[in-house]
Amino acid sequence: MPLPAVLLSAKRMSAHQFVALTLANLRMIIRDRVLHGVLGVAGVMLVLVPAFSSFSMRQSQEVAISLSLSAISLVLMVLTLLLGTSSIWRDIERRYTASIMTLPVSRVIYLLGKFAAMALFLLICAVILTAAGSLVVLLAATQYPSDLPISWGTIALAVLADLVKYLLLGGIAILLSTVSTSFFLPFFGTLAIYLAGSASQEVFEYVSGQFGQEIPALSLAAIKGTYYLLPNFAAFNFKVHAVYALQVQPGSVVFACIYAATYTGLLLILAAWSFNRRAL
Amino acid sequence: MKFRLLFGILLLAHALLLPHLSERLKQRSVEVKLGYIPHPQILKVSVADHSLPVAEAAVMKVLFYFGTLVEKFQENIVIRPEYLNMYRTLETAILLDPYNMDGYYFAQAAFTWEVGRVKEVNRLLEIGVENRQWDYWLPFYIGFNRAYFLKDFAGAAPYMKLAAERSGDPLFAKLAARYFYESKQTDLGLLFLDTIIAQTKDKAIKATYEMRRAALLMVTALEKGVAAYRSARGSNPERIEDLVTEGLIPEVPVDPYGGNFYLDSDGRVRTTSKLAEQPK
Repeated sequence: MPLPAVLLSAKRMSAHQFVALTLANLRMIIRDRVLHGVLGVAGVMLVLVPAFSSFSMRQSQEVAISLSLSAISLVLMVLTLLLGTSSIWRDIERRYTASIMTLPVSRVIYLLGKFAAMALFLLICAVILTAAGSLVVLLAATQYPSDLPISWGTIALAVLADLVKYLLLGGIAILLSTVSTSFFLPFFGTLAIYLAGSASQEVFEYVSGQFGQEIPALSLAAIKGTYYLLPNFAAFNFKVHAVYALQVQPGSVVFACIYAATYTGLLLILAAWSFNRRAL
Repeated sequence: MKFRLLFGILLLAHALLLPHLSERLKQRSVEVKLGYIPHPQILKVSVADHSLPVAEAAVMKVLFYFGTLVEKFQENIVIRPEYLNMYRTLETAILLDPYNMDGYYFAQAAFTWEVGRVKEVNRLLEIGVENRQWDYWLPFYIGFNRAYFLKDFAGAAPYMKLAAERSGDPLFAKLAARYFYESKQTDLGLLFLDTIIAQTKDKAIKATYEMRRAALLMVTALEKGVAAYRSARGSNPERIEDLVTEGLIPEVPVDPYGGNFYLDSDGRVRTTSKLAEQPK
């Protein structure tokens, strides 16, 4: 059944507002000098990779790939933290949100525009850093021939998985930003969740083994409950596969994508709900 | 003006200080340079998705420490290496990244010939054989260690066979066969060292292998002299100098490890250094 003309027009207007807000936010992000500094540091880190990998006795190429991927991951994490944790609360504090809200823009569109701009910026950075990292890996690989081929597809997959992971982390940062009035809760809260989410799989496997039999049932249930509640960032780690050209199971990629989509979707819905209830 | 002057003074003081600081840090005790590495389980949960570079950094730490010891030895300064700490650091690196070839390679180089911890090294190498399923060097190392150090020819042969299957190199098949039928230990050692020296690029490691090879060549020449003496005289020579008197060797070679060659009661060639590094 066709939608009434008024509803169609409203939908088109929302989409237009969303794109306009996303592009406006992206322009603001690109102009941020702190982020230029972070990307500069990333460039220096990548330039140093061939020098560090030359210290390896038997796997210069593998070390170059692992250092490049780690540098890219670290930079994306810092960018996510800086962008996500300084978004909503700071805009409110600077009265930027209040002026935007005078326009016929819903709070949900405003919040989604912030998230989409962050996602676009992270995507642009990931593409640039992957291109730079690939050059560095090619250079380092000439230093000592490896038994293994360079698996460019898996390297791209590893970076893409990192990007998806940091979008999820960005969702957490934005959620915490909507309830906070300062920098501390979003920044340290997101950082703590990142560290816990990166370690949760190891801890879960540890307590699921013999060690778990010595833990009281209540503590074990609390640990397992926390494990399921926290984002599991281990699902997005394909670095070993990329470094050692191992085959990736397609199921692992599909599960990681669906997991990220559902978790990030839930976070954004919660953030929109929280932001809608917030007094400006 | 005052600030510029102060800035200039501080800059000059800083520039003057740097060489002295660098020299002082270089003089740190060797033990301080190796340091302490946390338990692998703790590291795994605390390094997020950067376990591969952390593992490589741990291997590098051991390599630089060992390199310092070799340098000191060349300056006639003998420092007893912290083998246990070195081994634990390498083990941690391998548990963090079971694909790390540098870790296996260094364990094989440092802990078999010099320290005789062959069983411990083989345990580490087993992890590598299981994970690096394309790699033929690791089964080769285990096979060699079992045959040469442990005299377990039956246990060595399957690993040499695995190395031959993975590489398609007839050398490994030949070695596998020889482990079953041969008993000339020194020849096997030389064959191994020739192979390993050809693909070693680290200077410190290569130097230790070449010294070992030179010593084994001397032992081989002396063993041939003893065999010739025995076939001519029907008994073993009493002293190693008898080989020179009989014209079987031009002179008694100088043990590169600083010891003196002699014959034991069974006529076997021995050296007072036991082929381990001695103070010069």
